[in-house]
Amino acid sequence: MFDKKSYTLYKFHKQLNQAFQNKRELLESALPVLRNLFKLDRIYFFDWQQERAILSLRMMCKKEYCMDKQEDISVISEPAFLKQLLREGITETTDLSYPAIYVLVKWQRPSMELKGGEVRTYMQEKVGVLRLERFKKTRGFTPQERELIKALGQEISHNLRNTEIDQAKNQRLNVSTALNALSTVFASSLRLNDGLELILQGVQKYFRFDRVRLYLTDSYARRIKEALCVDISGQVTHQTADQISPQEQGLLKEVFDSAVTYRSTRSVIYIPLKVQRSKVGFLAFDNVLSRRHIGYLDFISLQQFASQMALSIDNARLFERVQELSNYDELTHLPVRRYFNEKFAEEIYRAKRFDLTLSLMIIDIDFFKQINDSYGHQIGDWALQEVSRIIRTSLRQTDVPCRFGGDEMVIMLPSTNSEEAKIIARRLKERINAITLPTKYTGGEEIHISISQGIASFPSDAGSAEELLEKADQALYVVKKNGRGVFAVYREVADQVQGYSKE
Amino acid sequence: MILWTMPDAGDKTKETYASFIALFKKENPHIPLSVRVFTRNVLWRRMFTIKNPTHEEEVPDLVQIPHYWTALLVREGVAENLSQLDPGLSLSTCLIPLKNHCYKPGTKDIYSYPWWFDVSALHYRADHLKLVTADPERDLSTWAGFLNICESLRERFKDVPGYYPVQNGDWRGSLSMRSALPCVWGRGVDLLTPDLTRTSVATKAFKEGIRDYITLALRNLMPILRERGSLGTMVSGKASLMLSRKLGLSTFDARRGIQVRTLPIPATGEGAAAYLSGMNLFINVRSQHKKEALAFIKFCARPDIQTHYAKLLEVFPAYEDALELFMLSAGRRLRVYGRILAQAKTLPNITVTGTIMEILKRILAVSATQIVEGRFTQASLDRELDQAAKEIEYLLSIYEG
Repeated sequence: MFDKKSYTLYKFHKQLNQAFQNKRELLESALPVLRNLFKLDRIYFFDWQQERAILSLRMMCKKEYCMDKQEDISVISEPAFLKQLLREGITETTDLSYPAIYVLVKWQRPSMELKGGEVRTYMQEKVGVLRLERFKKTRGFTPQERELIKALGQEISHNLRNTEIDQAKNQRLNVSTALNALSTVFASSLRLNDGLELILQGVQKYFRFDRVRLYLTDSYARRIKEALCVDISGQVTHQTADQISPQEQGLLKEVFDSAVTYRSTRSVIYIPLKVQRSKVGFLAFDNVLSRRHIGYLDFISLQQFASQMALSIDNARLFERVQELSNYDELTHLPVRRYFNEKFAEEIYRAKRFDLTLSLMIIDIDFFKQINDSYGHQIGDWALQEVSRIIRTSLRQTDVPCRFGGDEMVIMLPSTNSEEAKIIARRLKERINAITLPTKYTGGEEIHISISQGIASFPSDAGSAEELLEKADQALYVVKKNGRGVFAVYREVADQVQGYSKE
Repeated sequence: MILWTMPDAGDKTKETYASFIALFKKENPHIPLSVRVFTRNVLWRRMFTIKNPTHEEEVPDLVQIPHYWTALLVREGVAENLSQLDPGLSLSTCLIPLKNHCYKPGTKDIYSYPWWFDVSALHYRADHLKLVTADPERDLSTWAGFLNICESLRERFKDVPGYYPVQNGDWRGSLSMRSALPCVWGRGVDLLTPDLTRTSVATKAFKEGIRDYITLALRNLMPILRERGSLGTMVSGKASLMLSRKLGLSTFDARRGIQVRTLPIPATGEGAAAYLSGMNLFINVRSQHKKEALAFIKFCARPDIQTHYAKLLEVFPAYEDALELFMLSAGRRLRVYGRILAQAKTLPNITVTGTIMEILKRILAVSATQIVEGRFTQASLDRELDQAAKEIEYLLSIYEG
């Protein structure tokens, strides 16, 4: 029914009629079949790098096994050999002492490229070469064998095309699954920093980059205000604005100004994070350590992901801004009582758990009612703003001030005993005493602002948040009773608190 | 248990492993062991993906690596801490130049274990050299002398088609950093400054060292990007000299009538140097067979197995006792190697060494193509090396700073 050639082709086709994960797996199946069919001593597969005119040896099949190989052979000085191979698809070698035949294998694989900022998908032609060898001089290849080898080469071409298409499809499926998982994590997190670390680690894990960095801009998008980086160890490091190098700051302009975010080395890509016209930051992915190229598919997928990420960051920032507005007093820019109480409870818990000290300071602007009555509420507000400004700029990063109500302010000083609290109280007293009311409102009179301060410390003066607040208030009461303008520590004035009432 | 290795025995790798693994299985019949052979390039790329394999990718239990990759794999969190796995594990008999490459830098925690090592040398056909010099050892002691001998050989063998004075010792048939490094070292510089914080790649001496090596291809004294085996080989009489490791020398011994002698690499500057390349084994942290993998490592480190494997592969045992046995039982060539070992140098065990070698390998690959196409210029190579220096400085600032 079949002639010999058709039957061999059918058998070959049947043996390779299965799904292969990649080119390597396919060749590992196809080369031994060819070797057995033609009783070959050895068979090679080369990739033809046309632009470099180089045949790159990839695999060898000998006896019962295949093996990866790596050897580059220039064919630039052999135009006759090339011409014949390209024209006829098959040629015999002349530079070996035994019979060997070259067969051209051409196939197409899905590819993408970036042209003028646009992604173009197309089928890229790939060329490979099979070399079949028999070590005995007398065992040359017959014309019938040559014809059959050529036909089987075409069958391998067909299989290579299918395998490459399947591989690309699987790759896309993996990428979209990964991106979907990452987007879900990020979308469910309103607090910015909760999601970012997970996302960076996830992107690195799924895409297997050496390093992923995220740079976030300040609210004016003028400079980078913080960066997160996950490197090959998988650990996330944070950098604040002052830890970011000038070169990295320079990247901000470069990334947003340039349309080319895919670097020529193809080991680094930068993707801007934009929401409409607002520049949220940018992502940097690199394989500078492994020197692996970053594929276009990764680039395009990450671009899509970046737009979702930018939107999520923008939303989270908005959420944080709303939170910030509700936590801060509009006039003094100090935290409000509710926010303070939360932090105070946390710190008291921490101090108890880790045996730490903590001091609390209550501040009252002296004769604030008279200032309001004599010079008007505008001057009263100005005085409050100035005192708050001094407080804000005179404290340490860990201290938490708050406008408690009216002209009363409270400052929580974590890990601070009463002696250390006194140093801060003295500093505030001196700086606030230097404030004078604007003379155009006081009729030229130089009126200085002063404050009274009451201090209590945990655990020496009190064992709970409420008690600490009460003791600081009692110390303040003593100061006010004794003429104002100074500070007092509860323990030192405890004997003078008679007559104190919470109201 | 799965072992990933490199094709150390060339085309005979599978057969070599089969006989070696049979020895292991004889003593450990309950441990199944499969070997996968990858080229160094493939293995390098896989070192960055085995941490997060996809569902279709195989996870190895044991991997053979060049010894200077250890720091990278520790940094990546891919290599198992062997000191923790077996607190009794020791490197007391390991050769001193190989020890530091087993530890996590800055600690004495062992993360990879030495298997074998090799060292580069100059091999020559005694019958060919006799025709052009009465004293090969003297004439081949300097790079200038070596080039002169090459020219004389070319003249002497001008009628032999496909003859090149030097056989290309690189597996890929291209220009190789492993062969170039002794030329660089001979010029008195290294890849990095002694404190390992800066690179010397852009220095004049480094560029001169690379130029010394490339001269072989530029003057057509050594074939590049030509198929190995088809021309310019010592066995076929179409080459007389070869700069290479010891591995694979038996090809010559197998041919009756060919006498191949070995000498240190000719000195390009004040001193001669040889490239010492170590091969280690590490256990993948994701392995489900760590005990079995450790058993294989200990098996490979045993003196009798070390000596056996070194003979099988034609390399050197990595442990003092085994090396002594190996050298004592050997002939003239190994005695010369005693001298070569004394001047051998190796690459530092830091995170970025592998990457630096990749960068320089790419530069040499570009140069090789340019030479073949007749468009190579020294200026373009110097520019590439200057650019490489910047890349290396950047890498050092990220990973070693």
